Amino acid sequence: MSGRAAAENSGTMTGANEFKLAQGPEDSVSAVKFSPSSSQFLLVSSWDGSVRLYDASANSMRMKYQHLAPVLDCAFSDPTHAWSGGLDSQLKTHDLNTDQDTIVGTHDAPIRCVEFCPEVNVLVTGSWDQSVRLWDPRTPCNAGTFTQPEKVYTLSVAGDRLIVGTAGRRVLVWDLRNMGYVQQRRESSLKYQTRCIRAFPNKQGYVLSSIEGRVAVEYLDPSLEVQKKKYAFKCHRLKENGIEQVHPVNAISFHSVHNTFATGGSDGFVNIWDPFNKKRLCQFHRYPSSIASLSFSTDGSLLAIASSYMQELGDVSHPADAVFIRQVTDAETKPKST
Amino acid sequence: MAECDAEWEYSKENIQPLRQGRSVSALHQALCQQQEGNHTALNLKKQEFESELRLYDGDDPLDVWVRYIKWAKQTYPQGGKESNISVLLERAVMRFTAEQKYHNDVRYVELWIQFAESSSDPMDVFRYMQAQGIGTMQAVFYIAWSEEHEKRGNMKMADSVFQDGVKCGAEPSDKLHAFHRALQARVCRQMMTSMTEQHRNDDDEDDEEPQRASLAELKAKGKKKATVPINRVKASVGYARGLQFKQPLGPKQNSRLMIFDENKAESEPQEPRFEVWTAPPAARAKENQQKVEKWSNVKLPLKSRSGLSVAVPPPKPSFQPFVEEDDQPPAVTPCKINPAVNSVLSARKPSRLEQTPLKKLQEKQMQTLEDGESREQSMYCRDLLYSGATEFCFEELRAQRYLQTHTIHNLKTPHTSTHCLHTNTDK
Repeated sequence: MSGRAAAENSGTMTGANEFKLAQGPEDSVSAVKFSPSSSQFLLVSSWDGSVRLYDASANSMRMKYQHLAPVLDCAFSDPTHAWSGGLDSQLKTHDLNTDQDTIVGTHDAPIRCVEFCPEVNVLVTGSWDQSVRLWDPRTPCNAGTFTQPEKVYTLSVAGDRLIVGTAGRRVLVWDLRNMGYVQQRRESSLKYQTRCIRAFPNKQGYVLSSIEGRVAVEYLDPSLEVQKKKYAFKCHRLKENGIEQVHPVNAISFHSVHNTFATGGSDGFVNIWDPFNKKRLCQFHRYPSSIASLSFSTDGSLLAIASSYMQELGDVSHPADAVFIRQVTDAETKPKST
Repeated sequence: MAECDAEWEYSKENIQPLRQGRSVSALHQALCQQQEGNHTALNLKKQEFESELRLYDGDDPLDVWVRYIKWAKQTYPQGGKESNISVLLERAVMRFTAEQKYHNDVRYVELWIQFAESSSDPMDVFRYMQAQGIGTMQAVFYIAWSEEHEKRGNMKMADSVFQDGVKCGAEPSDKLHAFHRALQARVCRQMMTSMTEQHRNDDDEDDEEPQRASLAELKAKGKKKATVPINRVKASVGYARGLQFKQPLGPKQNSRLMIFDENKAESEPQEPRFEVWTAPPAARAKENQQKVEKWSNVKLPLKSRSGLSVAVPPPKPSFQPFVEEDDQPPAVTPCKINPAVNSVLSARKPSRLEQTPLKKLQEKQMQTLEDGESREQSMYCRDLLYSGATEFCFEELRAQRYLQTHTIHNLKTPHTSTHCLHTNTDK
């Protein structure tokens, strides 16, 4: 494969099926996102204020644009448009063909998450100003502001539904086609702060991870029968000298084909889970630092892994931040048929 | 501004009184913002306080809490859940229990007193404070405690609290003495009035026509038995204070005063004790809260009074009474509130009862004692994330650290920018 060849050339191969991205960000990585059309392009946003576009197969940086402050999240709306927001509270879109920035709008506080919903063709941002805003990517302009009960920490799109995770362990399910009211108000089934929510590609539920080494699998259908299936499990815990060290679970990414998901924790491990058989499919080697973000490519052949310290334990010295691209096999991601 | 004046007139009943009063401008601002439904500015300010709480590295962390609570009180005149004041107070007092240097800091003691007043049983809190040595050198502590006793009508304890305060040498002592004297004066006056009242009731037949004197104590005078509570001052004060005499101090030992002795047994054991709370006090005074009682075995006493045996159910008629078809009685009693429909007025869940602040505090102390044995260790700065009234995430903390060293240039200063934002959006 060309990716592997390029990686070998630049000497950053970290394993037979994995390489480290060259020309990585200068500060912590906040998000990695694969392009919706190919597994070639990867967006990486960083605390250094930049959003970079990488060619994963050539292991090279193709483009870079800058925000005024650290960028907390980024997303593709289509293969040629990148969106990003961060501490400067501005939502930017970048045309990847012409290399042109546009400031689309602002929130009243830093933007924490940026997601695109292809079904409704709308871009969604969540912010610490306790609101979710929708943006029309064609014009581009604001298409509505929706107040949330608390600061938005994470959000995910399941078909035409929007799942918002806020401070205070709240989860709100909105219908993107009718944002007049909140469809469901839930409380996280985990005891501690919500870190990440990602929806199943089959749109039936979502996975929620908490700051305290736990992951919950939940279903959107409110009927009792379906709700009975929900469950939670412990993970990203390391036993050291008889003390169990509990790490935050910062990142989740779904495999679009198999509906399995990867979780990344501050322990530096990436696990892949089979939610149907409630089994762990595999665990990769330990990465140098916390896993800040994960992204499966659309076809599910690659996993981008951002290993980057998130100051969970304060502003202390830490291993260098890096993004790894790993080729994954069916054996690692496909549920075992029993 | 005219709008706001009207707003203040309209929402008088939504403004909780504060002991130190309210600043009119802050009140105007708060009401305006609420009327406009603009919470952005408030949230930003709140966030500012929250991050200051976490990132403060001076030697007086209490100062931030005090300012935050003061701000919250002024900004949310109606109190309530949104203001978060009870949570703030709880967190603030819990946070510094181990800090000896604050134990007799008047600001910290004031926070404790406010916390006590908002909790369901202030007495427990005061006793806890005394046991921990919080505020024992502060006159305000003894004054607040004594007032609480006085409110419950236990004048003797109110007095002995002051005596404790004097014994401990609480400062400022002249304030303590002034309040002590005021208490004694109140007790004396009430005793006098109740005795003169007593006296007058005995021989009120030969009194004159009822008359009201302005700016003087109202007295019950009249040919008729004083049916109208003419002496309003006495009635209300007597009711509120519930004066109890342990030993009648007056020269005339009226036997009718001795009636009060029957309460003696109940009020006597309220000595300050340093014991563990047998029944933890509820978190805070909640509305619409019923005490949990056992209902299953409760019998109505009415039945036993009539001569019939208690448990016999009324005999079933041997015939089927005719019921018109459209006249079916409703299956559910009409007055029963369907909880699904009326969610607004549903009763509060008493689940938090077992999690009262004092109990939490005790648990925390226990935890720190046996911390060495804990088997789980959180690999993140949990204290920082949860130390304020609302939680923070890593990114927020890091953002605050970032903003301390960098300024985002094209943005205006936070105050003006928020101001512009809401003027733009609202007009």
